[in-house]
Amino acid sequence: MMRSFLMAVALLAAATTAQGQGTVKFAILGPMAFVQGENHWAGAEMARDEINKAGGIAVGGRKMQVELIRADTNEVQSVPDATNATERVISRDKADFLIGGFRSEAVLAMQEIAMDSKKIFLGAGAADARLGENVEKNYDRYKYWFRVTPTKSPDLFRSLVAILGSIGDQMRQSLKKDQPKVAIVAEKTVWTEPIMKALQATLPKMKMEVVGTWQPSAVATDVTAELSAIERAGADIVFTLLSGPVGISLGRQMGERNMKAVAFGINVEGQKDEFWAATAGKGNFVSTLDTYSEVEMTPKTIPFVRAFKERYKKAPTYTAATYDAIMVLKAAIEQAGTTDADKLVPVLEKMEHVGTAATASWDKRHDLIWEVGKTAGIGVQWQDGKKVPFWPPQVKGMQPFKMPAR
Amino acid sequence: MYFLRRGWAELKNEVFVLPSRTAVLAWALALLVLPYVYGDPYVLRIVTLTCLFAMFAASWDLLAGYTGQVNFGHALFFGAGAYASALVSLKFGVTPWVTVWIGALVATGFGVVVGYLCLRLRGSYLSLATLAFPLIALGLLFAFPDFSGGELGVSGLRRLATTVTANYYVAVLAMLAVVFGLWLIADSKFGLVLHAIRDDEVAARASGINTPRYKLTVFAVSAFAAGLAGALFAHYIRVAGPSTLETALSFQVVIWGIFGGVATIYGPVAAVFILYPLTEWLGSFKAFGELRLLIFAVIVLLVLLFMPRGLSPWVRDRIETACPRCKQRNRAWRSACRLCGAALQSLRYRPR
Repeated sequence: MMRSFLMAVALLAAATTAQGQGTVKFAILGPMAFVQGENHWAGAEMARDEINKAGGIAVGGRKMQVELIRADTNEVQSVPDATNATERVISRDKADFLIGGFRSEAVLAMQEIAMDSKKIFLGAGAADARLGENVEKNYDRYKYWFRVTPTKSPDLFRSLVAILGSIGDQMRQSLKKDQPKVAIVAEKTVWTEPIMKALQATLPKMKMEVVGTWQPSAVATDVTAELSAIERAGADIVFTLLSGPVGISLGRQMGERNMKAVAFGINVEGQKDEFWAATAGKGNFVSTLDTYSEVEMTPKTIPFVRAFKERYKKAPTYTAATYDAIMVLKAAIEQAGTTDADKLVPVLEKMEHVGTAATASWDKRHDLIWEVGKTAGIGVQWQDGKKVPFWPPQVKGMQPFKMPAR
Repeated sequence: MYFLRRGWAELKNEVFVLPSRTAVLAWALALLVLPYVYGDPYVLRIVTLTCLFAMFAASWDLLAGYTGQVNFGHALFFGAGAYASALVSLKFGVTPWVTVWIGALVATGFGVVVGYLCLRLRGSYLSLATLAFPLIALGLLFAFPDFSGGELGVSGLRRLATTVTANYYVAVLAMLAVVFGLWLIADSKFGLVLHAIRDDEVAARASGINTPRYKLTVFAVSAFAAGLAGALFAHYIRVAGPSTLETALSFQVVIWGIFGGVATIYGPVAAVFILYPLTEWLGSFKAFGELRLLIFAVIVLLVLLFMPRGLSPWVRDRIETACPRCKQRNRAWRSACRLCGAALQSLRYRPR
């Protein structure tokens, strides 16, 4: 009796150990109380369930299940909290791979901890170029860092300019105007400053006239003064750099004033599904740079977006590309037959991965190689209550960009 | 042998006679042996950061608790130390062992400037004025992004030591030295003058005390300690960013100070050693990790509701009692004073 009991305990212990060894641990690092963290986690959950349902990741002829570790970095409020969370998942939870991050200042500190431990860290939220520059400056230390989403900030600017150029061409044709007039509306925060300066230098080269720059507060609820000045200046395009609730105010009040100008740029509120209701249905024609839409950026985009909407009852934001990050690692692990970071780095460097948000390949800084139709993102516009993708036009499923009637 | 016997006698007569001193000694020893007993890098990281924030909190207490100069912008000194050390280290390639002192000295300079500008202000006016300084510093950093790194700050800094344990000891030893140094200052005649300035500045001046000089000195000393903490912090996390100047950090230090008990030095240190690991520990729970700030706020409110003078004075009053005759502190369970022999139990005297 006693012998049977001991054997049962030993078998149970062995089974538990085997199960523990049979997982690949992915730490998902994000500000979980914020929408960015929610999407980090949601994207990762979708990848985990899909992989585990299909049997797991093949590592050297052995199938291993995906295990996720949820780590709230609280990075929006505290950089030390973010570093502590990174250390915890590495030394306590024994994570094999790190994915996530959002606030660039915090991600720079998190990157240091991951590199100290030689852990592969796939960035899925921070855009600052310095993260990739570290790889170029000190390859041996920082080679474990790769950026999955978004493209680095100078490339985000390239995307904005490319879309603006396309809108400008359409305006030239329909309005018979050689030089469309652009008003820049940028919220009064630090991140908009370099983009504004670059825009003021770039737009004249694109044969566009800058009629002025307006800087409301990021939380302004009334921008009628700015909009009436923009109307008087005869602007055709309102180029927005807005991350706060002012994006809603601008969309609603442009609609209320029946403005002939069309808004395009970055409008974070405009990326959300709730934008139309928040503007009381007045946000027609507001357009913004975005990542996900039901459009065939890759063959995987539409099924992913639909499955995401069905599961979470809302559309994914760009940080949900943690899904792609896990899939990238799965492909690399299966190709290399190991989870060893040093062996995976060269595999990742040579890889071209067709994901849900982009077709990704990496440069010498381990940044995404920017290419229209692959990693440059998409342009979306609110048209009669629907967020309609319009750019890049060559992608299947894109619809025409619309302008208010004149 | 003589020194051993003398050391033991000192310990027995000066430290073990009071539970609070025994607890402090045990705490210091525990910190020193921790890496050998439990070398988990995550735990060492939390304690390292706790030590750095404890230095910062103690520096605030010297200024606000002892002198009554309630500073709502103490992060200015922390950030000044962090940025100065980071920039000198990165741009001139100077070893961080030198630049942390430069950071502390730059913070001292900021302390003198802020102290001078606020000399005539008192109470809430002083607090509100000090609140503005880190915001001004942030504005300046953002205005010169090529120099300061702008929104992202200065990254890629060198660490003071290469191993987790060595970094831990740097922080622990620096904290013990700074906190003990601040406690010595607060316990000296200089500290008595600070008490006098806090309680009645006009009376202090009428007694012939040069109060502006004392106030400026305490601003400088407090800023030095905060700047050193900031510089060590920057080299530890290898980034000196705008978060070191954020208003949230300035208020955090006020919470630590009030929670632990002001005008004690050890109170805010105890508060950091309780609250910082507690918030981190709460964050590790999947179920309510994201509610940690709410739980933290509830705990702080409850403590302040039931212990209005702060946690450490409340605890100290329960384990120790002051002699009504000679004012010396004794264990609470003694019946007679250890020095003058006066009866204690029936006449328990609790100084406020």
